[in-house]
Amino acid sequence: MMDELMEILEELRPDVDFANETALITDGILDSFDIVALVGELNDAFDIEIKPNNLVPDNFNSAKAMLALIEELQDE
Amino acid sequence: METSVLCRLNSAVEKYGDKVAYKDNENSLTFRQFNELTRSIGTYLARLVPAGSPVVVMSGRHIFTPACFLGAVRAGCFYAPMDGDMPVTRLNQILGVIKADFMLVDKAHLDIAQGLDFRGTIIVMEDIIDYPASDELLGQREKSLVCTSPLYVIFTSGSTGVPKGVITSHQSLMTYIDSVSKVLDINDTDVLGNQSPLDYIAAIRDIYFPISRGASTFVIPKNEFAVPTALFETLNREKITALCWSVAGVELPAKLGAFDVLKPEYLKKLCFSGSVMPCKYLKIWQENLPDVLYVNQYGPTEATASCTYYVVKEKVDDDTVLPIGTPYDNYKVTLLTEDNKPVATGETGEICVSGPILALGYYGNAAYTEKAFIQNPLNSNYRELIYRTGDLGSFDEDGILHFHGRMDRQIKHLGHRIELGEIEESARKVEGVTDCCSLYNKPKEHLYLFYTGDATSKDIVLYFRKNMPAFMVPRKLVNLDKLPTLPNGKIDMQTLKTYFK
Repeated sequence: MMDELMEILEELRPDVDFANETALITDGILDSFDIVALVGELNDAFDIEIKPNNLVPDNFNSAKAMLALIEELQDE
Repeated sequence: METSVLCRLNSAVEKYGDKVAYKDNENSLTFRQFNELTRSIGTYLARLVPAGSPVVVMSGRHIFTPACFLGAVRAGCFYAPMDGDMPVTRLNQILGVIKADFMLVDKAHLDIAQGLDFRGTIIVMEDIIDYPASDELLGQREKSLVCTSPLYVIFTSGSTGVPKGVITSHQSLMTYIDSVSKVLDINDTDVLGNQSPLDYIAAIRDIYFPISRGASTFVIPKNEFAVPTALFETLNREKITALCWSVAGVELPAKLGAFDVLKPEYLKKLCFSGSVMPCKYLKIWQENLPDVLYVNQYGPTEATASCTYYVVKEKVDDDTVLPIGTPYDNYKVTLLTEDNKPVATGETGEICVSGPILALGYYGNAAYTEKAFIQNPLNSNYRELIYRTGDLGSFDEDGILHFHGRMDRQIKHLGHRIELGEIEESARKVEGVTDCCSLYNKPKEHLYLFYTGDATSKDIVLYFRKNMPAFMVPRKLVNLDKLPTLPNGKIDMQTLKTYFK
C-alpha cells in the first residue's frame, strides 16, 4: 500500500522528497490546492472517505502519517 | 477630489486612530501605528529615491507588507510587489521589466533578494521602521502625486513568456474601491479575512478597505487553507464579517467538507471573483449561510480587477450558471463584434470596458499597451480609450451581462490567470522537449501538457517548479510520438482533449 501511496504522491509533486519529509503541511511544502487534489486521489485509490476532521497537519505531514490515516479509515 | 490614496490614509488616521487596521497571527497595527510606519518608511525612501520611481517590494504574508506598499507611496513613488516564494527565474523576469533602482524587502527575504539579478539598492524594512519622519519631505512628496499617478504595478502571465506589468493609478484604485464598497456596504464595523497573496491583484480590497472605509483586515495564514476546520475557526475567532476571495478559495472549504464541522458565525458578505463559480460549491455555502450577501464579480486586472458584479439573490442549483451582472459605478461596458460593430441585445461580442478604472497600460511595453487599449471604434468624436478584455459576453433583455468564455487561449486556474502559450514557451525550454501543446481540463482543474521528445514528465515538472509559479506547473503530462494535426497543419486540440479523464 505504501508503494501505491508513494506513486500518487510522486505524481502529484515530483519535486518533493516524500520518503524523508516530516513537515509537509507545517512547513507549507504542500499547499491547499495540493491537498484538495490529494484528498480526491486518496479517496478514489483506497476507497476511503477523508473527512474534514481528518484534515489536520498531523495526518498529512509525512507519507507515513498519511498511510496510518488511510489504514485507520479503511478499518472503519 | 482626492489626489491620492494618501488623502484616505490621512483621514482614516484622524477618524479611527486607535482602532485596529491590520492584524495577522503575530501582530496587529492600529491606524495610527500603521500610518507612523508608512511615514518612517516613506521618509527614508524619499531621501534616496526620486519621486515617481518604481520601488519593488518583496515582503511576506504579514501586516508590515501593506505598510511597505504605502510607505513607497508616501515617498511619492509606486510599488511593484513580488512574491518571494516564486522561483528566482520568475523574479528576475519581473525585475527585467520593472528596471527599478530600489527594492524594499523584509528580513526574511533578504537572502533571496541578494541572489537576484538586481544591481540597485536593497533596503530592509525592519531596519527603517523607526526612522524619524520628516513632515516637510513627506508633504512635498504627497504634493507631487496627482490622481492619475501610478499607484502600483502588478504582474500577470504574458503569452510571449514574459510577465506583463499592469499599471494602476490612484484614481482607478479609489474608483473601484468606492464602487465595490457600495455594493458590499463595507463600513467600519467590517472585518475582512484576507485570502489572496498580498502581491496579487485580488488583495487590493483587503489592503484598501481599511484606509478607505475604516474596516479592519485580518491576514489569514496560508497554511489554514489546507486545514479547513482551522480556517473556519479563525473566521469565528476573529469575528470576520466580509470575505473577498477567489473562486478557488471559496471552493476549498466546500470541497473539503468544512461545513460538516462548523460554520462561520459572523460572516455577512462574500464576494468572489477570478473565474467562473461552479454553483455546486456556492450551493453548499448558501445552504449553510442563507443570510450572507453573495456577489459574483467579473473583471480583468487591466480594469482594476473588476468590471461588473451580480448579486446572487436566487438559490442556486448544481448546474446554475451565474450571470456577471451589471457594471459597477464609473465603469462603462461595450460589446463589440470582430469587425468593431456594436452588438444587438442577446448577441455575443467581445467585452470592452472604459472609464476612470482603466490601467495606465503595461509597464515599459508601449506596443502591447497600444494593442490592448484602443480608441473606442464606435466613437469618432473625442478621445475615449477602451480595454479589449478578450472575453466574450452578451446582454440579455434586462441589461444583465452573461459570460461566454475567452476569445484566445487564456485560462483561469486556481484563481490565477494563465496564458497557455506561456506554459508551452516554458516547456520548450526543457531539454528533451521537441514540441508541445498545453490544454486545460476545466471540470477537473487539471493543467495538461502534451509533448514530444525524450524528456520525462519528472524532468518537465522539476523545470517548472524551479522556474515558474506553482499555479503554472502542469498537473498531467502526456508524452506522445507525434502531436495530432489538422489538415492545415495546426495542432488538433480536440483530439488531444480525448486524453482528458
